[in-house]
Amino acid sequence: MRRSRFNQGKRRYKRKFRGSKPRGSKPYSGKPHHGKSFATEDTNHTIEHRIAFLGNPNVGKSSIFNILTGSHQHVGNWPGKTVEKKEGHFLLSDEYFSLIDLPGAYSLSAHSEEELITRQYVVEERPDLVCAIVDATRLERTSYIALQALELTDNIALIVNMMDLAEKENIQIDKHKLEKLLGIPILLVSAFDNSSIIRIKKFLYDALHTEKYTFRPAYLLYSQKLETMINSVSRQIENREILRDYPTRWLSIKVLEADKWVISKLEEEYVLDDIFNKIEKLKKSVNFDPADEIPKRKYRALKDIVKKSVIGIEDFKEKVSDKVDKVVMHKFWGYPILILIYVAFFLITFYASGPIINGLDYLLSYFSDIVRGWLVAVSSPTFLTSLIVDGILAGIGAVLLFIPIIIIFYILIAVMEDSGYLARSAYLMDIVLGKFGLQGTAFLSMVMGLGCNVTGILAARTIKSDRDRISMILTNSFIPCAATLGVVAFLTGIFFKTKPWFAALLMLILYALSFLLVFLSSMFFRLFLGKSDTMPLIIEIPEYRLPRIRNIFYLTWERAGIFIKKAGTFIFIASIVIWFVSNVPYGVSTEYSIAGYIGRGLAFITEPLFGFDWRMVIPLLFGIAAKEVVISALSILGLLTVAWTTPQIISFLVFQMTYAPCFATLAIIKSETKSWKMTAIGFFYPLIVTSLITAAVYHILLLFL
Amino acid sequence: MNTMSNKFSLADSTVNSIVQVEKITSGQKARRFLADLGVLEGVKLRILKNDVGPILIEVKATRVAIGRGIAQKIEVTT
Repeated sequence: MRRSRFNQGKRRYKRKFRGSKPRGSKPYSGKPHHGKSFATEDTNHTIEHRIAFLGNPNVGKSSIFNILTGSHQHVGNWPGKTVEKKEGHFLLSDEYFSLIDLPGAYSLSAHSEEELITRQYVVEERPDLVCAIVDATRLERTSYIALQALELTDNIALIVNMMDLAEKENIQIDKHKLEKLLGIPILLVSAFDNSSIIRIKKFLYDALHTEKYTFRPAYLLYSQKLETMINSVSRQIENREILRDYPTRWLSIKVLEADKWVISKLEEEYVLDDIFNKIEKLKKSVNFDPADEIPKRKYRALKDIVKKSVIGIEDFKEKVSDKVDKVVMHKFWGYPILILIYVAFFLITFYASGPIINGLDYLLSYFSDIVRGWLVAVSSPTFLTSLIVDGILAGIGAVLLFIPIIIIFYILIAVMEDSGYLARSAYLMDIVLGKFGLQGTAFLSMVMGLGCNVTGILAARTIKSDRDRISMILTNSFIPCAATLGVVAFLTGIFFKTKPWFAALLMLILYALSFLLVFLSSMFFRLFLGKSDTMPLIIEIPEYRLPRIRNIFYLTWERAGIFIKKAGTFIFIASIVIWFVSNVPYGVSTEYSIAGYIGRGLAFITEPLFGFDWRMVIPLLFGIAAKEVVISALSILGLLTVAWTTPQIISFLVFQMTYAPCFATLAIIKSETKSWKMTAIGFFYPLIVTSLITAAVYHILLLFL
Repeated sequence: MNTMSNKFSLADSTVNSIVQVEKITSGQKARRFLADLGVLEGVKLRILKNDVGPILIEVKATRVAIGRGIAQKIEVTT
């Protein structure tokens, strides 16, 4: 029989637990989710197990996911949500293990989309195994979410990661004791040991084939007062029609915890006023709030479990991290260090990618010359030759040339992130950004935006407050991305060749102006976005760690991948469109092409306002498609050899810094806000603001120069 | 009424001292999130930094930065 082996184990397992926990009337709906076979009917050995990884941020959850799945992973979005969904798989003894890396969360309450997704997945999708990952050096805190998951599912195992660090701190964990206390299989591991991959795989295999392990998840009993309340809610909702997949006890606990999602769902069927009245009465008379009491009891239970199974935990021991932070996070010294690190970061990005880009550029032009020669040799029509060489190949070139700078940029970001510095810079910047009403987490989105606005906007997902998030999405295109930096550096280099100090100063001023625009606009948007949920800053500052090459590789791969997939596609298409509008009708000079007509039309406005003639307008127009093409458009139009007036140069530089998001950025604004209105604002707001500023700058300069 | 005067807010605590959380008077949402990170009544914290900006504490072997506004709503004792 095809599924016999697996299902047998499952049934045995089920029998073992029926009744071990007082959950709803029907703890298992018997949905045929598990043991799904994707092989043909004839093969009887390929079974799919679905495993979900769950855990706090900074416990190495993604590292474990990455080492297990390697290249067999796929990053997408949860349907309809702006939360990343990571899936992958591995094979072990002919069985297919499909893994899902649930978003990092601190608990299973419904305060963030991440938490909601996590618990919905665990209950509604019924993975065959939920694997909670915790940090051995912080067992108590990081197990909180695992303890919550124990109330939600029986199919749960625990991986205690970072055992290497725990050993260094002389923390000893009694695995068997812990297994006994929690009632679930446990693996102690250090993800970066060479043997870890096979140990984790084997552990997951054994946990799924329950012959080896017995699951008897600990059943956390609360205080008598709470238990009475839980039971009374349970009785009321026992025979419910909705949320049948969720354990009754868990729902009752959530009702007492004032979980909005659960309450609103249950209220579709029940009137829960009685319960709320009771809670209110308790709060008033004996100052007892179940919403506070439940987490307190959970932590108390955890403390007890840790006390019984772990030795060597020293409270409040000063670690190396603390000593380093005395300087790095110092109220004064922290800032010069921050500036130094970020300046170094940009210099490295710039100088390390330079030679690679030049080499690549040489190869590309060499290659396109070969293609051109070959096309001419087969006497292809000049129209086709131009389309292939100047359109398609140039488009591929524009994407390729950009990849080195993006990769180096995100490698360095990953180094900062994995070492723990990124969180610290967010902390330091919180103090500065707070003056503009923004939180430190917005800084991460800005830094990412310096690479590519698409990733910057995606990074805004970490911003807790909706209002701040929307305003960061809308203002991110003010942040000059690497492509814009390329244009600025190139143009200042050409125009102020004799005055390098002036070029540098000008660039600094332009960057400062961009950031000022971000800050002021956020304040401006706040007036319209209202005083929505201002979540106060509460962030975890991870310990300093030596960056791991594997982590850096995956982090870079993911982000650079976004650029290549999203931005790359747009740049490529944009290049072909640009070729088209500047070459049709074919054979005429650019002035009389489609682009020429548009440029000359727009010049009626731009010439008096900013001093841009029709030729200067065209590159900017193309820049809306993709900023990468501005330089090549300038050179094609012969603008790099003509004399510009100083007001024209500065006006052009000011304008092109912030005038509009590119197509890829617009697409991501749309997908992240799910609103055409916001997308329109995201486009027209920078355009209008930049136009006003540029016009002012240009006319002031005309007065003096 | 409790006339003991040793209760003070986390925002007023001194660096390197170890304090115990007595009461959190913030809104439900922030209280829950603090609890998720291990900051709740009865728990001991060590103050790592408290000058400008968010207060940095150590709780259950984890470093957590807490905005000054919310820290003012966390009552602690030594």
